[in-house]
Amino acid sequence: MTEMTTQGTVYVIYIATTPEKLWAALTSSEFTRRYFFNRTVESDWKQGSPWLLRMPDGRVDVKGEVRESDPPRKLVVSWNVDWAPEKLPEAVVSYEIEPLGGGVVRLTMTEAHPAPIPAYLLEGGRKGWPMILSALKSLLETGKPLNIPVPQPPKEPGQ
Amino acid sequence: MSKFVYVTYIRTTPQKLWDALTKPEFTRAYWCGTSHESDWQAGSEWRIMIPDGRVGDGGKILEINPAHRLVLSWRNEFMPELKAEGYSRATFEIETVGDTVRLTVTHEMERDNSKLIDGVSNGWPAILSSLKTMLETGTALELTSRWPENL
Repeated sequence: MTEMTTQGTVYVIYIATTPEKLWAALTSSEFTRRYFFNRTVESDWKQGSPWLLRMPDGRVDVKGEVRESDPPRKLVVSWNVDWAPEKLPEAVVSYEIEPLGGGVVRLTMTEAHPAPIPAYLLEGGRKGWPMILSALKSLLETGKPLNIPVPQPPKEPGQ
Repeated sequence: MSKFVYVTYIRTTPQKLWDALTKPEFTRAYWCGTSHESDWQAGSEWRIMIPDGRVGDGGKILEINPAHRLVLSWRNEFMPELKAEGYSRATFEIETVGDTVRLTVTHEMERDNSKLIDGVSNGWPAILSSLKTMLETGTALELTSRWPENL
């Protein structure tokens, strides 16, 4: 029996940048391909518009809808993994951007699971976000991303 | 059980990260002006000194493997409500991944709904973000460069 869960992931990171630069880094491919495992993004980032995350070989990784868009403070997107053999329940990913003074911005990423998903798949997100957001911070602060090997997709226990 | 886990990837070496976690000349820069005191031997005591001379947190070194792993017993010493909860446990793990170092901090306590773990859940992301900035750029985030007023 596969263990199911609705437990989400929250990751908070403080970055020496501006809300505008962080917003651009989250929403434009020239940035995402440098910190998000070479992936690009496509959307006009307006509420109700479609968005997608594309793999370097052109396949769609994730697609969904822009649920909330308040540049440069808040972006909420629905998140449907497109390549999984079985359709997974939709997740919701939110980015909240808060300027704190002293040239520092707090980014809070929340991956919520309104419907239960297999727990082993959640591990993927839980391991991936610190890599992606650490690389995003390095890119914005130093101009250079991090060279972190791309993790393998999670496997079901016992397989 | 209360537990907080934070993972960050830093462009540095395990030895530089270890020095940044254990030497006061580094902790002062990114950890709100505090200095960490210990001889860093298994069984020894360690403590975090607040700039005004108060002890912030302290405990014993449960396990130490320089540049790889550090396990501390950890009690808050300056907030009576948190001190009353007794000892928690903090584990620091350092691993090389690609051209980066992965730091995993796990802070946990037996009791449910621990106020200490709740507090450090807010503190660790700011301190570890600032540590990463210091190691990668040479200067920590201003946010954590001095002890907060009125604390």
